[in-house]
Amino acid sequence: MLKLRSGVIVLLVLCTLVLAPLAVMAQEKVIKIGAMYPMTGRAGLYGLDSVDAAEMAIAEINGKGGVAGYKLELINTDSKAKPDYSVMVAKRYIEQDKVHFLFGVVSSAVGLAVTEVSKQSKKIFIGTDHASTQLTADKFQPYYFRVSNNTFQSMAAGALYLKELAQTKPWSTIAYVGPDYAYGHDQWNELKFNLDRFGVKYKIVGEYWPKLFAPDYTAFITSIIKDKPDILISGLWGGDSVAFIKQATPYGLFEKVLFCSPDAGGNYEVMSATGAELPLGLVLSARHHNNWPETAANKEYVKKFFTRTGRYPTYAAEGAYAGILAIAQAVEKVGNPTDTEALVKALEGMKIKLPEDPDDFTSYIDPATHQIVQVQAIGVTVANDQFPPAKRMLGNWKVYKAEDLLPPKDFSEKKK
Amino acid sequence: MERDTDLKQAVLWLVVFAAFALVPVATASKYHLLLAAHILLWGLFAVAFNMLWGVTGMLSFGQALYFGLGAYSVGLMVKHVGPGWFLPGLGLGLVCSVILSLAVGLLIIRVSGVFFTVLTLAFGQLAWQITFRWYHFTGGDDGVQGIIPPGILGNGLVYYYFILILVALAIWLMHRLSQSPMGVLLRCVRQNPSRVPFLGQSVRFSQLRIYVVSSFFAALAGSLMAGADNSIHTDMLYWTTSGEVILMSVLGGIGQFFGPFIGAGVLIVLQDVMGAKTEYWPLMIGIVMMVMVLLLPRGLVGEFQALRVRLKSLVASR
Repeated sequence: MLKLRSGVIVLLVLCTLVLAPLAVMAQEKVIKIGAMYPMTGRAGLYGLDSVDAAEMAIAEINGKGGVAGYKLELINTDSKAKPDYSVMVAKRYIEQDKVHFLFGVVSSAVGLAVTEVSKQSKKIFIGTDHASTQLTADKFQPYYFRVSNNTFQSMAAGALYLKELAQTKPWSTIAYVGPDYAYGHDQWNELKFNLDRFGVKYKIVGEYWPKLFAPDYTAFITSIIKDKPDILISGLWGGDSVAFIKQATPYGLFEKVLFCSPDAGGNYEVMSATGAELPLGLVLSARHHNNWPETAANKEYVKKFFTRTGRYPTYAAEGAYAGILAIAQAVEKVGNPTDTEALVKALEGMKIKLPEDPDDFTSYIDPATHQIVQVQAIGVTVANDQFPPAKRMLGNWKVYKAEDLLPPKDFSEKKK
Repeated sequence: MERDTDLKQAVLWLVVFAAFALVPVATASKYHLLLAAHILLWGLFAVAFNMLWGVTGMLSFGQALYFGLGAYSVGLMVKHVGPGWFLPGLGLGLVCSVILSLAVGLLIIRVSGVFFTVLTLAFGQLAWQITFRWYHFTGGDDGVQGIIPPGILGNGLVYYYFILILVALAIWLMHRLSQSPMGVLLRCVRQNPSRVPFLGQSVRFSQLRIYVVSSFFAALAGSLMAGADNSIHTDMLYWTTSGEVILMSVLGGIGQFFGPFIGAGVLIVLQDVMGAKTEYWPLMIGIVMMVMVLLLPRGLVGEFQALRVRLKSLVASR
């Protein structure tokens, strides 16, 4: 008897657990977005900023009444930057949570694994912060869209910068330091490809491959000084970039070579972590800058983020912000979040005005590759304490037209 | 009496098998299917690992090497030769795992205890580093994607049953092995290695044999995993993967044959349920592990068995 009664109770509890979310769902029309950002570890700040920015965008849109009668909702699961775990989370999102969009990810390896799930289950995946060019080139699939620059675009901008530099301040030798994994190797190959494409003459005097998250760069720094390149390209990111700069300063490296890091070196994270220790005159860029372009939209975006979180955004934040805007705009056009094929059509060629767009340009998604096309600005570190705790920000901008930065049609990643 | 427990156990495991077989009937969700497949494959990996540790007393910190070897032989076959080469890749992985584990085994079973553990770790990390660095062949840290099993196996449901049958067969084989005279000998190697020569047996040879067997089944789990996830990556070879099966075994109980399987199931479900609720799930798992090690050192299955024995004696004494 007792057994029977407890059985009934268990059954009731199970029923409520299953039915409760259904009841909630019935109340409101919701666009569900399943994000997979890492919230811990070295990439944790990227995940944190992305989720905050995405929620900020959602609050704005929902505040205005949502889109096409739907409210936006974001769920995030800490992916721990692990591809196999992320595959499982993506499938859970699709099957259990019934999300309409897969969203996010910082690591390219996770991006590649999730794009496979997206392809198999025909669910749109909006990539916001992983740079591997492969995703929009060799591994391209129709349900993937990326709303931030890839490494090819940054490296093309870097190559153009170096080309112009050669006219004012001649240089001949170049060296590269980057983390020893796909992201690091891709950048170097793409930079060389672009230098060749733009007809720049150069001689390579060294390649240095520290491990990702390496704590000590002294051995590399001394060999760089010995090899005497005119230009040192860096493919380091985040904490690695910070550690390298801090360790190289006492050796006077930055007086001897021109340090240039066009993909992630100019991320606000680097400025806030180094403060006044960041040398002046470094040539850096990132996928979004807090002080460029000086448009009302960008100032507004940075201010809102600061009011919301108490810190200034890194570039990851703007990628996530752009992703939410793209989703909202697509649903607005189609009228519902369920017609995947129509949403793909709507996203292809879509124009989105983003904080990082200067007044005379609007970002758009290239229909052929599903890669967003944006201008890129490269700057030089100058003293600026408007964005504490940073004491340096970028200035003396050089701006590169979006169309010049696209990979040629036949480009595919040739790995070393 | 013994036959009775044997029968009971057989029935119990038939029920577990039936439960896994009924997963696709109970739910149409591909996610649940993947979750069940992960439990089966990690369970197989953990049981194979425990044949080394729990049974023979050889703590290997490098079984990820064989798990990854299985996965990469399938993945690389599909990537470089063609999508139809999934099954030959699986076979190749198993053959390679035997050859490699024989070669590595001969080198590392010469030492025992912590030295053995460190050497297994070293070989595991070596394989990881090679895979990580050899971009144009292995895809480096990007891994390999688009591994779809060919033909009818491409159907998720069919593939799930394919996994279920292979895993059940593999676990049954290992169970037979652990109950056989060789299994008894392996326990003797763990408990009293100096006595083994007096039985006319060789400690090293027994260790080598079980190292090869364990590696073979780890490779099987890895290669089937490639088809379940449709993608592979270098994390599968990293030492944390070896660490994970150790956790699973401790959680389930290393003294029990099926302990690691239960441990794998619990850990995977925990990771997933907690992962969906909180970003602090590694902390939760840490707490669970701490409680297990400090309060329930025999593992879930071990403690359960102990509790049963105690209850039985309580009833009998009344």
